[in-house]
Amino acid sequence: MTKPVTLTINGIQVEAPPGTLIVDAAKKVGFDIPVFCYHPKMEPVGMCRECLVEIGRPVIDRATGEAVLEEDGSPKIQFGSKLELACATPVSPGMVVLGKSDNAKAGRDDILEFLLTSHPLDCPICDKGGECPLQDLTMAWGPGVSRFLYEEKQHLAKRYPLGELIMLDRERCIQCGRCVRFQDIFADDRVIGFSQRGRSLEIVSYSEPGFDSYWSGNTTDICPVGALTTMDFRFGARPWELRLAASICSQCAVGCNLALNVRREVVTGGDWVVKRVMPRQNEEVNEIWICDKGRFGHHYAEQGPKRLEQPLVRKNGELQPASWDEALDLIAERFGSAGAGLFTLAGSRLANEDLFNLDQLTRRLGGKTGLYTHMGGGKLTTQVGLTPGSNFKDLGGGGENEPPDAVLVVGCDLEEEAPVWWLLLRQAAKRGAAVIALNPRATKLDRDARFSLRYPFGSAAAAVLAMTSSLSQKPHDLPESIQDLSRNPDLKAAAKAFAEARNALVIFGSEGMGLAESAALAQACANLLLTTGHTGKPNNGLLGAWPRANEQGAWELGWEADANLLEHLSQAEALYIVAADPVNDDAAFQSAFGSDKFVVVQDLYLSQTARLADVVLPVQSWIEREGSYTSGGRRVQRFYPAIQSTTAMPPKTEAPGVRRASVLTGSVPELQGPQADFAIPSLIAERLQMDGLNHSSAAAVFAQIGETVPVFAGLTYQKLAEVHEQWPIVGRADMYYGGTLYENTQGLGVQLELARTGAPAQPQPAWSQVEDFRLPKLGLMAFPVTRLYDQGSTLMHTELLHQRIGESFVVLNGFDAARLKISHGGKARITFNTSAQSVIVQVRLDAALPERVVLVPRSFGLSIDAPTPVEVRPAG
Amino acid sequence: MLERKYLAEKYAQEIQAILEKYPSDRRQSAVMPLLYLAQRDKMYVSREDILEIGEILGITSTEVASLIGFYTLYYDQPKGVYRIQVCVDLPCALRGAEKFLTELCDRLGIQPGETTPDGLIAIEPVMCLAACDKAPMFQVQSGAGLTYHENQTVENALSLIEQLRRDAAGRRVAGHERGRDANG
Ligand code: SF4
Ligand code: SF4
Ligand code: FES
Ligand code: FES
Repeated sequence: MTKPVTLTINGIQVEAPPGTLIVDAAKKVGFDIPVFCYHPKMEPVGMCRECLVEIGRPVIDRATGEAVLEEDGSPKIQFGSKLELACATPVSPGMVVLGKSDNAKAGRDDILEFLLTSHPLDCPICDKGGECPLQDLTMAWGPGVSRFLYEEKQHLAKRYPLGELIMLDRERCIQCGRCVRFQDIFADDRVIGFSQRGRSLEIVSYSEPGFDSYWSGNTTDICPVGALTTMDFRFGARPWELRLAASICSQCAVGCNLALNVRREVVTGGDWVVKRVMPRQNEEVNEIWICDKGRFGHHYAEQGPKRLEQPLVRKNGELQPASWDEALDLIAERFGSAGAGLFTLAGSRLANEDLFNLDQLTRRLGGKTGLYTHMGGGKLTTQVGLTPGSNFKDLGGGGENEPPDAVLVVGCDLEEEAPVWWLLLRQAAKRGAAVIALNPRATKLDRDARFSLRYPFGSAAAAVLAMTSSLSQKPHDLPESIQDLSRNPDLKAAAKAFAEARNALVIFGSEGMGLAESAALAQACANLLLTTGHTGKPNNGLLGAWPRANEQGAWELGWEADANLLEHLSQAEALYIVAADPVNDDAAFQSAFGSDKFVVVQDLYLSQTARLADVVLPVQSWIEREGSYTSGGRRVQRFYPAIQSTTAMPPKTEAPGVRRASVLTGSVPELQGPQADFAIPSLIAERLQMDGLNHSSAAAVFAQIGETVPVFAGLTYQKLAEVHEQWPIVGRADMYYGGTLYENTQGLGVQLELARTGAPAQPQPAWSQVEDFRLPKLGLMAFPVTRLYDQGSTLMHTELLHQRIGESFVVLNGFDAARLKISHGGKARITFNTSAQSVIVQVRLDAALPERVVLVPRSFGLSIDAPTPVEVRPAG
Repeated sequence: MLERKYLAEKYAQEIQAILEKYPSDRRQSAVMPLLYLAQRDKMYVSREDILEIGEILGITSTEVASLIGFYTLYYDQPKGVYRIQVCVDLPCALRGAEKFLTELCDRLGIQPGETTPDGLIAIEPVMCLAACDKAPMFQVQSGAGLTYHENQTVENALSLIEQLRRDAAGRRVAGHERGRDANG
């Protein structure tokens, strides 16, 4: 540790590590120095000059090198003739900073006056009004009148859409450059920039579509004025009318902390409505950033005419509204008689509490459970995954005499599959961590990767095996398909960097893979981690870039991906399908329904699968209830109810408790409207005279998880709600302005300990499991890929994103495109040989793809769950 | 992918020569000469050119456009084939530059900042061009580059403009004939 520097700020003696900027040192002891262009997450640029302070430094006698003393023995301090920037000046020993002197204040006033010469001051109609540092500073200190000519105000475009997501008001821009710098430093999408100079300076975007970035919403948070606003929130509400509910993003495995801003509205008859989704600081998960899918993609969870409102029961061949009592009685009877014939299929957007209760009910009836996902290998992540104390922010260049950290990303287009992990890895790479991108095609991660390696499509597991093998004295027999890769000296170098790294982790995805392939890949990755000793300690281990928010939680609770889904669905006597729509994803599943099978579907909407059900049960969405998710980084985090499900009533009976006594004794209102997913299995269990399942509250269910599931041992909702101070301090209404994002006061969550399976996990001598995958000699092979914006049933509720999602498409390689005479943007008919599904879609070309390869994005109306042979023909 | 090839085909050798001047990991530095090349072609840099230059250098079109915005001598809008830029900064103004500008514009029937109806001549006031002692002065910016014209009178300027118009007409004819040849 280097010795801290001692200095005085506003008369208070302060210690700070060398290199600390004056603004930060001041903030740490509670002094706000106003900033516009400085942002604690970015290097200072000194563009706005709002942070002016007086700085004095001790006078040193040049001859002796000693400090010159005043008569009273105190060091003589020399103040500069001009004010200096607190944001760009690091602390130095003996420095005296005056941030509140008349001189400093006058300087900052003058800067404000300059800024206001060209500012429209239309706060009454500005979305930032109420949370705008320019407004606050002007109110606090700004000059009441301007000495500049009103007529000479610069007028610029007031409504300039930078694409369909973000609106720019050029007059309000104070040219701080935060947005442009964010897009450069963090997003690496340089799609907005400055044009012109001086007072005419304006933000431009030349990309197609405008502001083409998954990160655009973050610029609206950190813009210190109302120049950048999202189309979603623009003119939506005033900030002071909004209440906040802490939440967790439900869209991917990262588990970004969110703040849902809600208010009651006349148009909804006084109901609460989510007005905007903002990041909530969690320096161990998402810092202060979220992707645009997380920001805009929540609309599926709102109330709307298509949401299921009450149970439906099939009568005379038709699904008809029924009471909960009727539906639950019927289910209890049929599930009871099915017993071991019950098969429960659950999707992983369900919370821990839901999955736990569903599992309890099914198990105690003797039935089977299956997790609905296209990705395998989760069990390994519970054994060799991240451990408590892990944080992407710790990854970097190692220290003195320490090798840098390494991160292997394999079979994964990280920005598409787990956006914020991509953003954090880019920063880790800048700090010196060795990022190894091992993929079948180029991805954005390559830009920051120290090693960019390619394996042939279908050979992900073999490629990781080749890495492990290159470290071994006795190389393994490697499949033919990766011979080229295994001879690549970079592969050896990457493997060495990984093995020797201080910390090393592996993120695996499902690029081009189905369940079996991704499970094999996970095994290969676990082997690499185990043979190099990178497990069981913080910042080491295996992470899955799961397709849904709580897939990690499902694996931790003992759920497993179902590799024989069709068989299990077909053989079951009764089906309980929750938060999954297999029939929509693949019509082939339809064959499993019908005859006298009893099918219950529990969902938000009347899905394709629900249409085939005997009973359909309406549920509350994630914003209408409480619960917890476990992120891919194995952090259990709570989300809180943001709005009330319109007609929801408390469940009929309650666990005995003082507060609820009246409910128990008085006349109990009938159960109505959507219920929480965890409550329904418990209500069914109750009718089957099964005790021990809880439905009174998510907290009670979670307490049970803490008591019964070893990895969750000792966890409670109180523990998950604990916070400690985070740096930088942002999100408070202060002049040290971090943005409109929220400070975390509701819980940072807890990272799980590793599952103890008795014997410690051993590398599996499973080389033989790695199959030699070869493309067929003839014909095309389709590989599934993940796009952040897809046509999945959740995201399609966000109309704002429709243009970005676009129409169904496939990506074709250049050779076959030329052979088939299909051009970029043209149409083609694609026929899946196995399912015989045949559709006309748009074709995009990628000249870098190998011959015979077609990429088919998941959830774009084409059924693809694993690599599959296809036929492509030009159409129209 | 849609590839833009207008500049790449028309100026293949020039682009090659420009790119060779920069180390391969500093290719984006070639943006200035490429912009200059594109502007020489039609006296402004079109949106298509911006996209193409971005593609050639592996930078975003927004980055290219920002530079055009930053430098006053790059244009992203068409305006005249010849831009006559008259200095009206203080020293030149003292030597009658403003009067010169007004008279010249009057004779051409346009306002300062406008283009003649034939679309050939644009006249605009600019700040100091570093020839303060030789005012009235202007520079002519065209595809052929920049030329300085000092100690000017309105008559001088008008005859220069006539000359420019004749040059332009000559080039148009030559261009047409080349076009005919090419079409066989
Ligand atoms: S738009 Fe906002 S963030 Fe961007 S430069 Fe202007 S004031 Fe700063
Ligand atoms: S990165 Fe994932 S968790 Fe974070 S906001 Fe985006 S979709 Fe949500
Ligand atoms: S110059 Fe310091 S905050 Fe802008
Ligand atoms: S003032 Fe006109 S050239 Fe300098």
